[in-house]
Amino acid sequence: MAWIVKPSATMKTPGRAEPYLTADHRAQYERDILPRYADRQGALLPILHDIQHRHHCIPWQAMREVAEFLGIAPSEVLDVVSFYEEFTTEDHRRGKYTIGICQSIACEVCGHPALLDHLRARLGIEPHETTDDGRFTLLAMECLGACEGAPCALINEDRHDNLTIERLDALLDRLP
Amino acid sequence: MPVTEPVLTRRIPTAPWGDPRDRRIIGYDEYVRTGGYETLRRALTMDPSSLVQTVKESELRGRGGAGFPCGLKWTFLPPPDGNRRYLAINCDEAEPGTFKDRLLCDYDPHLVLEGIAITCWACRLDTAYFFIRGEYHHQAKIVERAIREAYEKGVFGGRGLMQACDFKVDCHMHRGAGAYICGEETGLLEAVEGRRGWPRLKPPFPAVKGLFGRPTIVNNVETLAAVVPIVDRGAAWWKSMGTASSIGAPGSYGPKLMGVSGHVNRPGVYECDLGIPLRKLVDEFAGGMRAGRRFKGAIAGGVSMGILGPDQFDAEMDFDIGRRYDVMGLGTACPTIFDDQTDMVAVARNISRFFSNESCGQCTPCREGAQWMYRLLCRIEEGDATTKDLDLLNELAGSMGIIPGTTICGLADGHNWAVRTILNKYWAEFAGRVKPSYHGLTVSAGRADGVSSARIVGATGA
Repeated sequence: MAWIVKPSATMKTPGRAEPYLTADHRAQYERDILPRYADRQGALLPILHDIQHRHHCIPWQAMREVAEFLGIAPSEVLDVVSFYEEFTTEDHRRGKYTIGICQSIACEVCGHPALLDHLRARLGIEPHETTDDGRFTLLAMECLGACEGAPCALINEDRHDNLTIERLDALLDRLP
Repeated sequence: MPVTEPVLTRRIPTAPWGDPRDRRIIGYDEYVRTGGYETLRRALTMDPSSLVQTVKESELRGRGGAGFPCGLKWTFLPPPDGNRRYLAINCDEAEPGTFKDRLLCDYDPHLVLEGIAITCWACRLDTAYFFIRGEYHHQAKIVERAIREAYEKGVFGGRGLMQACDFKVDCHMHRGAGAYICGEETGLLEAVEGRRGWPRLKPPFPAVKGLFGRPTIVNNVETLAAVVPIVDRGAAWWKSMGTASSIGAPGSYGPKLMGVSGHVNRPGVYECDLGIPLRKLVDEFAGGMRAGRRFKGAIAGGVSMGILGPDQFDAEMDFDIGRRYDVMGLGTACPTIFDDQTDMVAVARNISRFFSNESCGQCTPCREGAQWMYRLLCRIEEGDATTKDLDLLNELAGSMGIIPGTTICGLADGHNWAVRTILNKYWAEFAGRVKPSYHGLTVSAGRADGVSSARIVGATGA
């Protein structure tokens, strides 16, 4: 959980003419998500999941649009985005493939450091960085809840267990 | 009495009753064909308060880590006032070493959903949020599909089963987004309300003022799954498994899912009776130590519970373990086993990194203390620390948490216990990695003028 301190009064955030939340999205959220919660803010996490999934980040303008849509302050949206590790701001846009190597205890004693070092060398990036071509983001994640298959990793939404360097290479080579 | 048949894993082949390779997702039709939702049907003909009484008599203790008696928690609810009351299902299984709830979500989601429906009926709750951690993408899809099926077949939504008793339960999936702290019950509530998962000060407890300011019960996935067999077969049957407390505490009854990981031959989730010795769990269920190595230690059940030392391999896995073996508690009963080649300093450093990453930042002792402890442990691991750093580590660890009274939630207690138990049970290993911090003192005695000439000669170990 990072603490990001920025001069908010003078901070300029990029935007674009075309809205991120189209009328279709708004209608879909109104129909599928909002009725589930007692107030509009409850829908914030599901909506942010949707935006993160589509854009690999939560653009600044999208935060303002979501705030306006839910009737909350943009700062409250940023508050949530900056707290949860799955949501990233525009300057930390995730790559096409996010490779999350589990670094928690069972994976460490079963050999995750070798996997992480291998990916550092192969991709030329450190954990929490993205390759210049925007293809891979490397993450060192906390426990993925698959300790019986340690060491394990998430590649986008798929988990792979009992990894070796060879298996990991084969998985990455197969990615389109 | 030991568990003689699979209870929670009835439909999930698990050793010794089945082969894990035969596991598959149990859909609604197969679930019903094998007797599923019959218990709910029967429960709906019963008085809700009698169901609460049954669960209370079974002495079912929460399976999420704290071991709080489930029936007692349910009785904290105020009487219904016609407005909304919530159930929050805690599937934020993010504690390193823990992966037992995943098994139920992966293969038998309807068992959990049936438990949810029965609980909602028993406690008069009308909306359930299935909070699942963000990293469980696959499991979220399975459970979401199961919820959809359950709506179609009239388990939820007030048609079908519930119609006869004029009761309507809604169940929604709510995905987390990668924050361990959302497994804390009030942090979870904040996340469902669309805010950062900062735990709330208690009281008021969630049962009185929880989600959206309304009465809320927060239960773990496995606890809710256990409600089904308890209501089905009664409290006496449930209490025939497991063990009574040997120290006068509430008992540890029923079967428990135990996930064994680390240096064992067959890591995985097994269903055992509470009170099984760790050695038996490792040798009989998990296939013994990997490569025939010797046991060096084990995380009791999720890293926050602390460590069982080399002489505690025979510890009984029940809710008394905390008081008898100097760990915080049973936790989720998912031990991670370490063999004799494990570097315990590295284990402590890894666990400390976890807590410093996952501290939510709300309370200063945890936010700052976690970072300091992690840095100290890194220094010890690199051989760059001195003996007094070990004392500093102990002191820092002991200063943070609910037990010393400096934080809002128990995350810092987990960090505190994990580091202190590892440090104290493997003191020699830590002491061997640090330089002595005293300064050698030479005193040249016997000066004629009687003035002693103490001289500091500098750190001797450097």
